[in-house]
Amino acid sequence: MEAESPDREWKKGSAELLILSLLEQQPRHGYDICKLITARSGGALTFHVTTLYPLLSRLEARGLVQGRWVEKADQRRRRYYSLTPSGRKVLASQRKSWQDFVLAIGRVMGTENA
Amino acid sequence: MPDWKNEIRKRLEALGIEPAREIGMIEELSQHLEQHYEDLLSGGADEKAATEAVLGELANSDLLASGLTSTGLAPKQDPEPQAALPSGNPVRDFMRDLRHGLRTLRKTPGFSVFAVLTLALGIGASTTVFTIVNTLLLHPLPVEDPGGLVAIYTISSAKNAGKSGGLLPSSYLNLKDYRSRNQVFSELSGYTPPLVMTLKRSAGPQRIFGQLVTQNYFETLGLRAAKGRFFFPSENSTPGSAPVAVLSFASWQGKFGGAPDIVGRALEINGASFTVIGIAPKGFIGVSDVFGPDVWLPSTMAAQVLPAELHNALSDRGKPLFHAVARLKPGVSGSTAQANLRTIAATLQQAYPRDNESRTVSVQPITSELFSSTGGENGIAFGSAGLLAIVGFVLLIACSNVANLLLARITARKQEISVRLAIGASRGRVVRQLLAESVLLGLLGGVAGFAIGYEGCQLLWSLRPPDVVDNLVAPRLDMTVFIFAFLVSIATAFVFGVIPAIRASKTDVIEGLREETRIAGLGTKSVMFGNALLVGQVALSLVALVVAALFLRSIQRAYQIDPGFDTRHLAVFMMNPEQAGYNESRTKAFYRDVEERVSTLPGIAQASWASNMPFWSNPSRGFAIEGREQQRKSQALMSVVNTVDLGYFKVMNVPVLKGRDFADTDRQESRPVAIVNDYLARKYWPGGGALGSRIRLSGDAQPRLVIGVVKTTNYTTLGEAPQACVYLPLRQNFASGMTLYVRSAADPTSILNEVQREVRSVGPQLEISDIRTGDKIINQVLFIQKIGVGLLGVFGLLALALASVGLYGIMAYSVHRRQREIGVRMAMGAEQGAVLSLILRRGMKLVGTGIAIGLVASLLIARVLARMLYGLSPADPISLAGASVVLILVAFVACYIPARMASRLDPMAALREG
Repeated sequence: MEAESPDREWKKGSAELLILSLLEQQPRHGYDICKLITARSGGALTFHVTTLYPLLSRLEARGLVQGRWVEKADQRRRRYYSLTPSGRKVLASQRKSWQDFVLAIGRVMGTENA
Repeated sequence: MPDWKNEIRKRLEALGIEPAREIGMIEELSQHLEQHYEDLLSGGADEKAATEAVLGELANSDLLASGLTSTGLAPKQDPEPQAALPSGNPVRDFMRDLRHGLRTLRKTPGFSVFAVLTLALGIGASTTVFTIVNTLLLHPLPVEDPGGLVAIYTISSAKNAGKSGGLLPSSYLNLKDYRSRNQVFSELSGYTPPLVMTLKRSAGPQRIFGQLVTQNYFETLGLRAAKGRFFFPSENSTPGSAPVAVLSFASWQGKFGGAPDIVGRALEINGASFTVIGIAPKGFIGVSDVFGPDVWLPSTMAAQVLPAELHNALSDRGKPLFHAVARLKPGVSGSTAQANLRTIAATLQQAYPRDNESRTVSVQPITSELFSSTGGENGIAFGSAGLLAIVGFVLLIACSNVANLLLARITARKQEISVRLAIGASRGRVVRQLLAESVLLGLLGGVAGFAIGYEGCQLLWSLRPPDVVDNLVAPRLDMTVFIFAFLVSIATAFVFGVIPAIRASKTDVIEGLREETRIAGLGTKSVMFGNALLVGQVALSLVALVVAALFLRSIQRAYQIDPGFDTRHLAVFMMNPEQAGYNESRTKAFYRDVEERVSTLPGIAQASWASNMPFWSNPSRGFAIEGREQQRKSQALMSVVNTVDLGYFKVMNVPVLKGRDFADTDRQESRPVAIVNDYLARKYWPGGGALGSRIRLSGDAQPRLVIGVVKTTNYTTLGEAPQACVYLPLRQNFASGMTLYVRSAADPTSILNEVQREVRSVGPQLEISDIRTGDKIINQVLFIQKIGVGLLGVFGLLALALASVGLYGIMAYSVHRRQREIGVRMAMGAEQGAVLSLILRRGMKLVGTGIAIGLVASLLIARVLARMLYGLSPADPISLAGASVVLILVAFVACYIPARMASRLDPMAALREG
């Protein structure tokens, strides 16, 4: 994963969480995931081929997502990734700890600023 | 737009990702890039900018590599490039295909081992036969420039003599004149046929074969001694002055254990002492394709080693004992040489009319001499071609088995092939990749086949008669055979690999890629192709079986051929008293004593002597009919001549048809007499009148009175065309080497020891050089044919085995493929028996078609083989029916096993899995 802005380390830690959350509602292919991250972050976060697919492979190897070639009418066949049950659990726990973390940071920073 | 797939492939190829996964990744990532590119274009970017932006995504490709390596997708070692796309370098692509093929084959060891073994059997059989062809036909004479050598024969000069006079040897003196007077040869040398001689050894006398050769014999052939030297010119000057010998390599190894100090050793041959001066090169057995001597002696030693009647062979122009081989001068053709020699022959005819009357010479290619003992070059080429054709069939059956296996394998690999096609590999590329696997299989089969071929040759050669192991040609398993096996392997790979590969490349990409698609098996075309292969296999193996059966029946017939004499209770003992140092009077006494003593042994009906061994005679001596010389001056009459003792015809059970048998009164001092065979009598006295006529044999001073006519028998081989034969009484025509013929009352093997004991008691120093019973005589005549039949039998069985394995495979696969259909039938209430007969019917229908085609092909092929069959019709119903029945039975079993499996399927399980 590359970091342009904001901080590289933050992005690194959060990349898995971003992907897992995007797959929570529906299976998506790699390009779709990339586009959504860029769009939803307002261009602040971008993923390239060289970072996204190794990450997807790693998630797949850990059994958190499952890739599957799917062919739809009038479309080229694509590899769609979906969350596995254990992926859902990991997402839930990561989301919880992220929210806790953000809350904690917010509190600290809020206190400082106050 | 850049080729995105290629961009990705370049970055992945060094990682050594598992091929199927790699193909998937290339597709996935290139789609990503392509869509990004299209989005950029539709967003208003120009092509250049879009391309740069997309390629920018790949700028940090190290991340990709390290990312994939860390997920374990790409192994850290094994930097093998893997891809289905061409790299532009054909050699590199091919090597990559081979490596990929090797990995693929390793993943299915069962398939690979079976395919390699099947091919190895086919290639091994071909290699064995080709080694025979290579030895006998391609390299029959291991000498320098064999193309420059010719054979020189004496023939009848009569215009109307045709071929009846045959190709004869020449006398030593004539040869000497040809040599000194010709302008066309750089060398001309002579040699006798291999003659039976006695080698005295500490363990007792041993029979060997020796050849008398002129001093320049080895020089003419352009040979170099493996050890020591050949003859010096001085060793050809004075008769009896050069007691030296050259041993054959095989004899040195076999009879003398390859003794390093052999050169210089003394050998006692036929009672005379010879010093070994050299060893002939390995593999050289003289100017013959199959049989050679143990030892070569200078022709000047004729008087020391030849039988008494040939002692003057060097000085008598009427004793044609020497075959001649000559080397043409550069630029001289065979016909020029013949014209030159004929001029010399004409001069000799005038100068020596008694011995050279109506004789001239013929210059022939050396091959005519080489193959003279094996039915001529055409005969041996025909036999070899026949054997090669049969092993070709075996190989084709093996190929079709492997082709069928490959077809079945394609089903399992449909997805892999589809992915390759989907990511842009051309169909040609897929074909090449699959062919690389076939080539690998072919090469592995070739290596194993070469080993099988080698063992096959060793086995075949181990069947040589033990008493002549050092005299027979050795198998020549050289580079030519290796190249043959290699080429056959590659050709084989294409034969069995091309159609499955092309079929595979026609895989429907969309169909193949659907993961949900159940593997439904081969398409209709592939099934038809598989069926066609099966029919072909059955047809080919039927041909192989029919040919084997025909020759088996033919050789059975050969054993029933009546040679004209009774072999059932016959035993012969070959000996030469002169070689043990006996003089003429002692030899005569020996003959008389042995006959008397052996005749009185219990269990022995009759005993007598004859100069010829059964089936060892050729029409070699000319004769003239008195009173007809003038009219028939131009016609050469040739005859087999056999010197026999009293009672010979009774021992042989050959009836005297007219006149009388030889009697005790036919002695040296009485009127010279002869008995002729019925064929000779009828041919030259068609209206009768042979009895009382007089004939003169070449070399004889006086004519002989014909006193009897006996039945014509076989003299040279079994079932031969009738030949003229003249019998002379031993008492008027002394011979120093004779064969004792004994008729036993019961099985002749029971009296062999008794007879030997009696012979030893009369002549303790004498060696009996050869003992044969009637059966052995016939076996030896049919030796080559028996080897041929044995080979054909083995190949026929091999074809049957391979075809039945193939049949089983196809039937089992078809049952597997149709499991669902069978399940449905059974669920609908079909009985087990109905399913069984359904499958059997389908299989046997194909078998039936194959047999019909095979029968037609067999009839056509057998017609070509007709001239090699002993009195057997090529359409012999027993052979045709027998082979068909065997094939049908085996095919039935091969179909029955899968059919039975099908009938025992659990319908529910079959429906679920089918």
